Amino acid sequence: MSGFRKSIVAMLAPSLGLIAIFILVPIALTVWLAFTKWSSQTPFSTATFIGLDNFREIFGAGSVGRDFKGALVNTALYSLMSIALILPLSVLFGMLIHQADLKGANILRTILFATYMVPMIAVALVFSKLYSPSEGPINQILGWVGIGPLPWLSSPDTALVSVVLLNVWQQVGYFTILIIAGLTQIPQSIYEAAKMDGARGPALFGFITLPLLQRTLLFSAVIALINAVQVFEPVALVTQGGPVGSTNVMTYHIRRVGIERAQGGLGSAMSVTLLLALVVTVTAVFALARREDRR
Amino acid sequence: MSLPATTPAPGAASPAWRGILYLLMIAIAVVSAFPLVWMVLSSLKTPAEAMQTPPVWIPGTPNLDAYSKVSELISVGRSFANSALIAGITTAGILVTSLMAGYAFAKYRFRYREVLFAITIATMFLPPIVTLIPLYRLVGSIGLNASLAGVIVPNLANAFGIFLMRQFIAGVPDELVEAARLDGASEFRIVFTIVAPAVAPALAALALFAFVYHWNSYLWPLTVLQGNSSQYPIVISLSRLLSYNRSAVNTGLVMAGATLAVLPPLILFVFLQRFFVRTITSSGMTGQ
Repeated sequence: MSGFRKSIVAMLAPSLGLIAIFILVPIALTVWLAFTKWSSQTPFSTATFIGLDNFREIFGAGSVGRDFKGALVNTALYSLMSIALILPLSVLFGMLIHQADLKGANILRTILFATYMVPMIAVALVFSKLYSPSEGPINQILGWVGIGPLPWLSSPDTALVSVVLLNVWQQVGYFTILIIAGLTQIPQSIYEAAKMDGARGPALFGFITLPLLQRTLLFSAVIALINAVQVFEPVALVTQGGPVGSTNVMTYHIRRVGIERAQGGLGSAMSVTLLLALVVTVTAVFALARREDRR
Repeated sequence: MSLPATTPAPGAASPAWRGILYLLMIAIAVVSAFPLVWMVLSSLKTPAEAMQTPPVWIPGTPNLDAYSKVSELISVGRSFANSALIAGITTAGILVTSLMAGYAFAKYRFRYREVLFAITIATMFLPPIVTLIPLYRLVGSIGLNASLAGVIVPNLANAFGIFLMRQFIAGVPDELVEAARLDGASEFRIVFTIVAPAVAPALAALALFAFVYHWNSYLWPLTVLQGNSSQYPIVISLSRLLSYNRSAVNTGLVMAGATLAVLPPLILFVFLQRFFVRTITSSGMTGQ
């Protein structure tokens, strides 16, 4: 029995030990540091407890609060737009590849998914050129169909949307595969039975495909949200949060405050707020889905 | 019950409708492939062509000058070696730790198993930025900052790998494990010589995901390696190309660098895509 216990510990120690040291301890530290004044250039022992001051500051009316709230709103908008584009597109693409029974569907799947393998940094650099107002091909193509040149990344009105589109381009193939996996699990016999009852195209989709895909969609939405919160490269490299703060998202902002400006306590308070916002959002989404389920 | 060859899929319909669907498919493929095609084409242009307005689509005299310029500005070979070290060692570590923990969670019954597993899985959904600040300091305080070890060590285990391995190892028959135990094999031997081969396809998929993920990762290496450019992986070296002459960035140069960074993960994917697809469909997760 003790030999058995020893092997349990031996099997779990390497992975759980690493996760404990490099994920769980840092989470605990983040929560603690959020209530301290601390420079991330100095040891943890220099942190001095200041209660809720950091939170007062990031939610206050000063410049720190304004920048933080801006970043929080930008990240929320960015996430919403990403999910609102990725989910319908991946369902459309997934149905096209899985259900339309067309030759070449696998080639499309490969091309779509290949973009997911491209480093975000390369995606950001390529799109910064594609979006270029003068020498970029996107405006040229739009010009051919009579749409005037758009400012894309250089205007505060369009910059965040431009980064969303870049993100959607990169990730939609991954979610398409998730949707295909979900579609595969819907038994063909349900469709056949519905067709016998006279159901056609849109009805099949609305009454069978969509409801039975609900779990996949819910899961996809959560993953898309977690991914959206992590957007960093296009902001860090291409827009640097601008123009006028319009692309200043949480990951970029927290790193700038906590690492570059070394305001570790302030940055940690921001991290804790982000984590709480995420937990609340995900819980709400699941609660909503469960209520829908019961109906 | 249903015959795939004769039962039309729900979407199948008239030839006209099929034609529309084909057009749609081609349009999606073109939009999806366009940025990468543009990237490669631009990398072959002359600097003048790359900056021209309106844009030139096909390079007039395709040449590799941008690539040789890239290798003058950044040490491409060393960056590739750093990327390979980071992605390679991290992947190897993840395989070993995930295999062992996955085996424990799948085949042992012990107190707090469900709780431990749940805590582990929860970390899968944590955006890395939440822990970045203390982690940066923590890695520094154990003397690993500005080094490849600092990039690698915190990533040697992750919840996704454990989750994936548990899923697959649960499918390995208990009898197989019992038989090996009766033969006197140690638990480590069982994991690495009996369980590992039985879940080889899942291990291969995990290896590919982990490798691509860590080859592509940017935020953490950038944070740990601040100022130590000799340790930069290719994706960070690439971002430095932008700072050369920022006022008039040479597009061809940046595109050549991007092409170089994209090639290894893309080649890996093209040859081994069925492993990627199978892993996503069976787990619904990514490499982290």
